[in-house]
Amino acid sequence: MEKSIIVENLAFRYGNLLAVDHISFDVKAGEILGFLGPNGAGKTTTVKMLTGQLHPYAGKAVLLGYDVTKNPDKVQSRIGVCFEQTNLYEQMSAIENLKLFAVLFGVDNFNGYALLQRVGLAGREKDKVSGYSKGMKQRLMIARSLVNKPQIIFMDEPTSGLDPVSSEAIDNIILEERDRGATIFLTTHDMWEADKLCDRVAFMNQGKIEALDSPRNLKQQYGKRSLIAEISSNGDAIVKKEIDMDSPNTAAEVEKLLTNEKVITLHSEEATLEDIFIKVTGRRLTE
Amino acid sequence: MNFRIVKALLKKDFSLFMSNRFYMLITFVGIIFFIAIYFLMPSQVDEELNVAMYAEEVPVVFAQLSETEGINIEYFEDEETLKQEVLDGNYQAGISLPEDIMETWQSGGIPDIKVYYSSSTATEIKDAIVTIVEELSYLQTGQSINYNISQEVLGHDMAGEQLSLRERMRPLLAVVILLMEILTLASLISVEIEQGTARALFVTPMRTADLFMAKGILGVGLALAQAILFMLLAGGFANQPLIILITLLLGSLMVVGISFLLASVARDVMAVTSWGMLILIILMIPGFGTTVPGILSEWTKVIPSFYLTDTVNRVANYGANWGDVGINMAVLAGITVLAIYAGMNALRRRYR
Repeated sequence: MEKSIIVENLAFRYGNLLAVDHISFDVKAGEILGFLGPNGAGKTTTVKMLTGQLHPYAGKAVLLGYDVTKNPDKVQSRIGVCFEQTNLYEQMSAIENLKLFAVLFGVDNFNGYALLQRVGLAGREKDKVSGYSKGMKQRLMIARSLVNKPQIIFMDEPTSGLDPVSSEAIDNIILEERDRGATIFLTTHDMWEADKLCDRVAFMNQGKIEALDSPRNLKQQYGKRSLIAEISSNGDAIVKKEIDMDSPNTAAEVEKLLTNEKVITLHSEEATLEDIFIKVTGRRLTE
Repeated sequence: MNFRIVKALLKKDFSLFMSNRFYMLITFVGIIFFIAIYFLMPSQVDEELNVAMYAEEVPVVFAQLSETEGINIEYFEDEETLKQEVLDGNYQAGISLPEDIMETWQSGGIPDIKVYYSSSTATEIKDAIVTIVEELSYLQTGQSINYNISQEVLGHDMAGEQLSLRERMRPLLAVVILLMEILTLASLISVEIEQGTARALFVTPMRTADLFMAKGILGVGLALAQAILFMLLAGGFANQPLIILITLLLGSLMVVGISFLLASVARDVMAVTSWGMLILIILMIPGFGTTVPGILSEWTKVIPSFYLTDTVNRVANYGANWGDVGINMAVLAGITVLAIYAGMNALRRRYR
């Protein structure tokens, strides 16, 4: 499959601090890549370099066949960026916000109303953004990043602090865009969201990519699968018992459990991306 | 430069300007306020004669002059102080009598009487002063033509061109109207950076030059339109309208450059207002000098707005032409280019 993003040896310094330390990776067209890491890991700096906001200290980033540093306008006309912090023109209406960016992107025959309907803002198109709730503003941010039907969409914590309904609506839009063929670069702290949406995830820590693979492969490589049984013993007391699912004796242990014990519940458990992140980097995502 | 993008940004900025009460207040209420101040100022010149006098021994008839209605006489201890007071515009004329005036008259000699005028003293006032000296000498000695009068105008000679306070304030008000837009434009830019909307613009095909052009057009448009409106209403285009127009245009561009500089250092609207007021006060100082001549020192020429105010003042109030203000305008153009260059560089760093 064609590669939308190719990053080679990319680095950036803030004074003496090497914020991004010569990272390399690529993202295929139509893929959702999750970029996970704690604050200060270098995620935002990486996104700024990929979107042409910062010039790399070393290395290069090629998006859709164009070197970002040499052809920022060619890249920026084909990407969409949804920022973590809401940065809309609050004194303007939703439709005015979208129309402004449509002109900046040179989109002809732009239908802002259809886009707003898609993100669930139909009927509020002409209201000032200052009167919107946080969820509505975030939906408008998503809509703005889609104005030019981008081939790559950068999303920075798109569901942060939102209610479950708004989060699910945004997740669905991300999946729709992926199905349209867009590449999604998703920066997040939310391991559940990453696990649910991403084809692959990259663990970033102290400016380096520590691991990059699909969530399933990472779990298989670093995680532990187990069976958790709740057993009733000596009257009312409930005891938990854990059986390693990848042990050669798993089958015998399960048989022994079911034969000899009074099992109340029995379910499987696998490592989360958070567990794996801690195992790989020695840090928590939310540090 | 993409003019489609510049037009879209301009439309957006104008829309934000129109929807913000703060900008509307300092712009529209501001211009009404300044026009009102202009028309509230007296349009007539005070006819009372203020005369400074220095005399070691005051002849009796000269002393009696103090009691005459319409003439105010102040005595000074030395001739230099008297000259400075006249030069500063505090007196329309100064009369310096020689120390031995009485002995000279008594011995049948002819004393030398010096008369100093301020630059704005009208010809009729000068004639009146000479007549007064002539009459007093005659009354004192009983003889005509018994004196020598040497007359000297201190500063620029404004014979027959006395200005009302309203006219004196015209350059100050025109320049203040221009300068007020520093606050508006710097606030617009600062808000855009503070709220992160500038970041959203910079990940589109828009280039920094497009943004600067849009902000520049808005700033110049707002400042120049108001200054022209004021000058039209205040009759400021009666002399050399093209020079006035070009000077105001240069002033508007200088305002844009200063706004960029202000927005690059001020982190939010409060900081823009605080720093902006400080800058405004400094830039207004040369305007006070046109309103009250003689109060300013030479150092005020280092204030960038001096060349703007002085040019408007000399052309609108004293009929100066291209030759008179050419150097002023060249300096103003240089300052404007410097302000825009520095402002764009500082702001470019702030945007990143």
